[in-house]
Amino acid sequence: MSAATTTAATSANCGNCSAATGGAHFCPACGKIQPLPRGTDYFAFFGLPQKLTLDLEQLEQKFHSLSWKLHPDHFARASEDERQLSLDRSSQLNDAYRTLRDPVARVEYLLGLAGMRKEGQKKQQAPPELLEEVFELNESLDELRETRASGGTAATMSGLRAKLETAQHKFEASLAAVDLELARVSTEWDAALDSSADDAAKKKLMEKMNEVLNRRSYIRNMVNGVRQELAGA
Amino acid sequence: MAYSDKVVDHYEHPRNVGSLPKDDPNVGTGLVGAPECGDVMRLQMKINPETQVIEEAKFKTFGCGSAIASSSLATEWVKGKTVSEALAISNTDIVRELSLPPVKIHCSVLAEDAIKAAIEDWKKKKEVSAPAANATAGN
Repeated sequence: MSAATTTAATSANCGNCSAATGGAHFCPACGKIQPLPRGTDYFAFFGLPQKLTLDLEQLEQKFHSLSWKLHPDHFARASEDERQLSLDRSSQLNDAYRTLRDPVARVEYLLGLAGMRKEGQKKQQAPPELLEEVFELNESLDELRETRASGGTAATMSGLRAKLETAQHKFEASLAAVDLELARVSTEWDAALDSSADDAAKKKLMEKMNEVLNRRSYIRNMVNGVRQELAGA
Repeated sequence: MAYSDKVVDHYEHPRNVGSLPKDDPNVGTGLVGAPECGDVMRLQMKINPETQVIEEAKFKTFGCGSAIASSSLATEWVKGKTVSEALAISNTDIVRELSLPPVKIHCSVLAEDAIKAAIEDWKKKKEVSAPAANATAGN
């Protein structure tokens, strides 16, 4: 847990001049591009703390400036090692940017660092009321498909459509609500970091975020499913 | 990635699709879901209170082929078994029988969870319908 909630501490030294680099992209002494220290996460890559509220404009500026500095074109005449480092760092830069600029992917990534988003054996439980809702909506979707396939009457079809449209509005409202909740917990997380809360408090917040993300993924699937179905009906 | 023949067979000809009366005291309902892929699975079984034998099992699953095959297989397996035999079914048995690839193991976990949840639900109903016996045992 603690490894995931503190920015990767790095005690790397430059391979060229042996100066301490502190995990920087370039050696502060000789300016050579540096290998990625092990455990560099996307936040650390941008020199950011593991906070969930980000200034997107600033992030984009950093991204542009780094992609220019790390670009393989600048290393065309450098050693093979440096060319490889430039490729590695550029590719990680793109992944890091893509992940951090999206608020949901950002939370998922943070939880992933703490080992909380594993698939498979590790259970990701959804609340029972939500499962009921999801199940019922799936049944309505099925009913609509079957009625359409068997050439149901116009009246039956429009009845089903109306039912689905109601469901769609409900799920879209739920999605907006869950996004708001995620934003709220994200703010709480940042506050916990600011006040150097203990690991137990951070873990509790992470569990909360995990639960919100699970609910969100169900609801998003439902919204997409209903949208698709209504587009075809 | 290709599905195994057994998965395809269960997917194309799912066994025991449907529902059992949820309010029947002898019917246990397990509703489980995997948020990562949005799957939702309902497994129901009718259990004889005297013999503890699972007399009927039905499922309905909204999800991928592996999730459907896993739950279809689970209903086939639990039918005729006692509650304790059914509880012994593990997701690895399902993985083996259906030759599920690693990325689909969570579908088998879901099926195992559904069996356990259905039995849990049935047990809860029994407790409610026999509170007197419980109270004596509890004190």
